[in-house]
Amino acid sequence: MGKKPENRVERIVNDLLHGRRLKLRAGDAEEKEAITAAARFAAARQGPQRMSPAFRRRLAQTLESAPKETWLTRRAAMVAGLGVAAAALAGGIVGRALEPAGSPAPSTTSSPVLPKNGRWTDVGALADFSEGQGKLVRAGGVRAFVFRQGEAVTAVSSMCSHLPCELWWDRGPSVLQCPCHPVSFTRDGKPSSPSYTLPALNEVKARVSAEGRVEVLGT
Amino acid sequence: MPSEPSGEVVDLPSATRAIDIALDELELVYAFIFARVGNRADAEDLTQQVAMKAFPRLRPSAPASSIRGYLFATARSVLGAFWSTRLGLSQAELHEDLALAIPQGPPSDESVERAQRILAELSDNYRRVLELRFLHGYSLKEVAAEMRSTVGAIKVMQLRALRAAAKVDPDG
Repeated sequence: MGKKPENRVERIVNDLLHGRRLKLRAGDAEEKEAITAAARFAAARQGPQRMSPAFRRRLAQTLESAPKETWLTRRAAMVAGLGVAAAALAGGIVGRALEPAGSPAPSTTSSPVLPKNGRWTDVGALADFSEGQGKLVRAGGVRAFVFRQGEAVTAVSSMCSHLPCELWWDRGPSVLQCPCHPVSFTRDGKPSSPSYTLPALNEVKARVSAEGRVEVLGT
Repeated sequence: MPSEPSGEVVDLPSATRAIDIALDELELVYAFIFARVGNRADAEDLTQQVAMKAFPRLRPSAPASSIRGYLFATARSVLGAFWSTRLGLSQAELHEDLALAIPQGPPSDESVERAQRILAELSDNYRRVLELRFLHGYSLKEVAAEMRSTVGAIKVMQLRALRAAAKVDPDG
């Protein structure tokens, strides 16, 4: 085949119509729109697709060899099984539900902040949040420290769980300090000193949208 | 107020059951990817990549909606990387529409209906060449005979028809 664009695209169309892989070369980028359109037409020709039994078995073996974790809750399993998921989540929410394996689990001793008629508030682009550093944000009447962990975020209330003072982020020891008394909290809201038996900070719901924006559940 | 993660976190009855659920979710991912790459080998590779990337990051407390949302966010990312690697372009340059809504059920005729909507917007000649080539599986030679033209001319028309199809907004 020559270098004429119609020849290059025909080679790709011919491969697609014979069920072969897309073998693209650097020069094909000039016709990227035609090529992606051809791939979609080739898919349409074959109708809706399901995994082949052989591939499904291979994939099952891959998942079986993955780290042994409990991936799904029973509730999640039931919902997934009934297929009623995702309707309101077309943006692909990453948020608190997903964190890198091995990251610290948030404290379960304090309840999350769930305002009545709460709404998700955009508090900035994920790129504006530094890895592992606390950033104070405001979502209406809710103020929180947001922490980035890779592509996910977590957040805790900025109010001390003992005295009603607003905490501040101390970069050195990486803790939230209370200005009103000598206590500090780790990024997952737990008191950093075992000598203080304080409740953990309230968790604040936070997530990352498909567009890479950080959103906090506020008022 | 948006849906919140809720309900007690419990272990599934068995690991096998968890994998079955994961595979059912990945069926949707596979159909989504296949509709965009048009061939089984690439669709299988990319679906496997999605599984390997996404599952280690799912927390036990994740609600089903987040699981599916995350799988599709991962699928979009994997597809973007695929096209950028194959075409040598940055992901920002790619025109590929990867922002479609997450499917809510079993694989459907979405890609077929979408193709029909696009074809309906094209001129008669462009529509005809794409129908014969892609939907009826004609060779270039057969298309040329059907349209009383030459193979060379049909090849050029096919390219122009695909360019025109790429400009149609099937949801518009």
